[in-house]
Amino acid sequence: MKVLRLPKSPKVLLGLGILGFFILMTIIGPWLAPYNPSATNFAANLTPSAHHWLGTTSLGQDIYSQLLVGARATMVVALLAGLVATILSVTIGVAAGYLGGLSDDGLSLLSNVFLAIPGLPLLIVIDSYLPVNSRSNTFVIGLIISLTGWAWGARVLRAQTMSLRNRDFVEAARIIGEKRHRIMFSEIAPNLLPVLASSFLFTVLYAIGAYVTLAYIGLTSTAVWNWGTMLYWAQANNAPLSNEWYWFVPPGICIALVGTGLALVNFGIDEFINPRLRAGGLTSRQRRKLGLPRRVRLGLTPVLRPAKAPRVSTAPAKLVSQ
Amino acid sequence: MSADTFDIQAVSPMREGPAERKGNAVANVERSEFVLEVNNFSVDYGVGENMVRAVNDVTLHLRRSKVLGVAGESGSGKSTLVYAMTRLLRAPGVISGGSVTLNFTSRDDEKEFTTLNLVTASEKELRKIRWSHVSIVLQSALSALNPVLRVGREFDEVLKTHRPDMSKAQRRARAVELLTMVGLNDDRLARYPHELSGGQRQRIMIALALALDPDLVIMDEPTTALDVVTQREIISELHDLRSRFGFALIFITHDLSLLVELADEIVVMYAGEIVERAGASELYEAPRHPYTLGLLNSFPPLHGPRRELSGIPGSPPDLSDLPAGCNFYPRCPFAMSRCENEAPALTAIENSDRSVACWLHSSDSSVPVPVELSRTVNPARNPVTTLKERP
Amino acid sequence: MSEAVLSPAQLSARHLTRHFTTRVPGRFLTAKRVVRAVDDVSLDLFEGRVTAVVGESGSGKSVLARMLARIVTPTSGELVLEGSPIPVRSKRTLDYAAKVQLVLQDPYASINPVHRIRHSLERPLLIHGANKGEVETLAKAALSRVSLDPPERFVDRYPHELSGGQLQRVSIARALCVKPDVLLADEPISMLDVSVRLGILNLLRGLCDDERLAILYITHDIASARYIADETIVMYAGQIVERSRGTALVDEPTHPYTQLLISSVPDPSDPTSQDPQKREHATFEVANVGCRFAPRCPFAMDVCRTDDPPDFIVGEDHTSHCWLHASEPEAAVEVAPPKRRREGEPTKA
Repeated sequence: MKVLRLPKSPKVLLGLGILGFFILMTIIGPWLAPYNPSATNFAANLTPSAHHWLGTTSLGQDIYSQLLVGARATMVVALLAGLVATILSVTIGVAAGYLGGLSDDGLSLLSNVFLAIPGLPLLIVIDSYLPVNSRSNTFVIGLIISLTGWAWGARVLRAQTMSLRNRDFVEAARIIGEKRHRIMFSEIAPNLLPVLASSFLFTVLYAIGAYVTLAYIGLTSTAVWNWGTMLYWAQANNAPLSNEWYWFVPPGICIALVGTGLALVNFGIDEFINPRLRAGGLTSRQRRKLGLPRRVRLGLTPVLRPAKAPRVSTAPAKLVSQ
Repeated sequence: MSADTFDIQAVSPMREGPAERKGNAVANVERSEFVLEVNNFSVDYGVGENMVRAVNDVTLHLRRSKVLGVAGESGSGKSTLVYAMTRLLRAPGVISGGSVTLNFTSRDDEKEFTTLNLVTASEKELRKIRWSHVSIVLQSALSALNPVLRVGREFDEVLKTHRPDMSKAQRRARAVELLTMVGLNDDRLARYPHELSGGQRQRIMIALALALDPDLVIMDEPTTALDVVTQREIISELHDLRSRFGFALIFITHDLSLLVELADEIVVMYAGEIVERAGASELYEAPRHPYTLGLLNSFPPLHGPRRELSGIPGSPPDLSDLPAGCNFYPRCPFAMSRCENEAPALTAIENSDRSVACWLHSSDSSVPVPVELSRTVNPARNPVTTLKERP
Repeated sequence: MSEAVLSPAQLSARHLTRHFTTRVPGRFLTAKRVVRAVDDVSLDLFEGRVTAVVGESGSGKSVLARMLARIVTPTSGELVLEGSPIPVRSKRTLDYAAKVQLVLQDPYASINPVHRIRHSLERPLLIHGANKGEVETLAKAALSRVSLDPPERFVDRYPHELSGGQLQRVSIARALCVKPDVLLADEPISMLDVSVRLGILNLLRGLCDDERLAILYITHDIASARYIADETIVMYAGQIVERSRGTALVDEPTHPYTQLLISSVPDPSDPTSQDPQKREHATFEVANVGCRFAPRCPFAMDVCRTDDPPDFIVGEDHTSHCWLHASEPEAAVEVAPPKRRREGEPTKA
């Protein structure tokens, strides 16, 4: 596990490409936006044109600018929530798995409660208690979402920790007198990295969904542009009925693309954890070139037939010709 | 030899094989004295730049009803060899050359002896010979047995698949017979694998392997996970079973002294190649390859004065980074300049039935063979080499 | 080496016992069964001496090592470290870790795969009070002590880049980093390639001879115990059945279990070990009353099934936990021959 070598799989590269694109959009989107997304100084309900790539809303706002500006809030909330939830789940999951006994019982109960409560309604309840001005604060929203999204990861990490807890290197750390928190976070946690990364990706995906949903049902401040508020306004103004697809389809596609990107990167992590998914170390192109069957079959080791003639029959022939 | 038109049939006279076989290969009524012939067999892991050759140009022949011991350490390719031979090796393993010929007795007619090149065989042909003619016992019986099936079901499934004509009662009777054969009570049939001890599970694996009366049984470190007392019991059980049923046995292990007791012939593998092949007692009493000598000296003796032994210096070979000449050169106490650049081939030693891959024994070698490597087989068994007396 | 020159034991175990309670399933009220993993074991580890404990799986030898390292709490008994008794139920202190170290069986699993070798050596140094500035030098010195030369080649490697033998040396170096007086080695060679095993044994022997460590060598391989040990102890089902100084125990085993163990070792130099005679399939039943080996013992007598034997002295520094060696007239039978014998019962007097 020396260097996380860049996976060669086209799936993963595509996923990384998509995510890279949206992260770039998060950073520079607001500067790229040609107009103020809230300004209502254009004609309403324009169809896409050179001036307004994605047309305008029924209030006369530029949709393309909304999409670019909205990327930032959406991605920031998602990544923040993913990060905080992952930290929570590592702390709670690893502690529960390693400490065992009463601590495990308590922490497991906690994560089970959070798993059992449906996330979205809880989110709505918490959110509706927030003072209105903090609803525009992306950080507060991110933290709230992470609160409902850590429990699943904690359970997975707890199970993984329990399987690592009895491994010899953990016992060896105990023998040399290592402290408990160091064993948990310096010896065990780095071994959970692939699981952790996967759990982070899924939490980010969950957070995007949750944030967009909150915004879509109007529970976040409409002053902050994100893809969810775009959908909210599109819905409120009957865009789907009036065939204004350019209003609600682009944010929908962006959400779907981010989700796809996350899922594709996760494939790479899967292959990293499970070497058997690496198709036996041979790429499909290599297999084709060698005339090997495309699929790896159990109980039928492939036989390499080199292009040159088999050595047994050529050797005597050469001797004769000499 | 055409690869795709071959199927289970009479021996083709065109097939490559050892010289002594050519005469009787013409007709299919005559039985080959070898049950397995492996010729110039090579196995790689992966292809292209990252390719690692795990088995390199191995040739070996196994006579009927004989025990061939394969000794070697990790990375010697001993397990890879037998898994690839039976085409059971998993990806990224690839067979990169050679042939493996199995000569077996066809079930349909006892008179008919057939042969099959396992390297070119189709999946269907392999399915037909596996278990019926070649069976395998693995190191870990616990992972080989299905944990949710009672032991009796395992026997039933095997017999049902390969002997469809047997009735349920016959299958049950055969299972009881097999268990008795390996020294287990028939009440074990109703048990689950986890209810049995490691030795009992391994006995069940052996009974399963013998269920269809195979010509060849392959055992990959079957006793490594067991206690020494249990190992002893299973080894003597094997002795007994083999003399009763006459199957040939390939026994793979890192424990050379165990092989000396069990095997008729031993091949010693190092870094994917056979470095020495000899009869068991010749190999033990008069090793010819420095690696064999080192291995034999790596087991502390149970008798005699205590002396300091040195084992073999250095580390086991890294297959992706082998030396240019002899693979054993970096660890060899007798290394010469020639060994650094030229790899010795496995050659027969004159006036004997054994071969070794070492320049010390080549006919044009100017260096006298060290005394440790030129011992003769002596009925008064010498303890292994003396190094230095411990103070 | 005579008893007189020996200083008091570095570490002693007195009547160390560990019971595990398991539930017997399949009943309405789950019955509890006590497994006596280690039962009343006493032993002393002296500086400059290797003590070997030989036993098969289930003999309790690993539990014993873990109790001595105090990562398993004994049910009863006591530990004496350099003459001062250790309250066994108290928490294991850093001080104890600094004196007694344990090397585990599987070198591939006992070194954290995500950290460089450097980490595995520097952590014990830092925990046990080395300065940040000197750890690098000390870590390299530790590698040199276990013959991993030059150390620069190894400190920045990852565990998967080293072979099993090298990893076991790292594992020993890690234990040495805390400068222990007692080194417990739990089957340190059983996972290694045959050709590198002797290297590890010689290393342990060297640490014992040159640095006066007290070493406990736990193994299932009685030949390796004979090779390295000054005192050999054979355990069966949690009890010490035979112990001797030097090689007496292997050369002239007196307990039927030791005899069985030795006769089972593949030994091509002994023509009788290849006898085709089929051995009886052993039962693995452990008696709850009487001698624990009685159900498997070819010499079992009535007394064996009712009373647990004491340790009888059978030679100089050589005891055997077997009624065959009782000197009382009622138990007088011809003692199981001290020579290696497998078949046939002893002739009754």
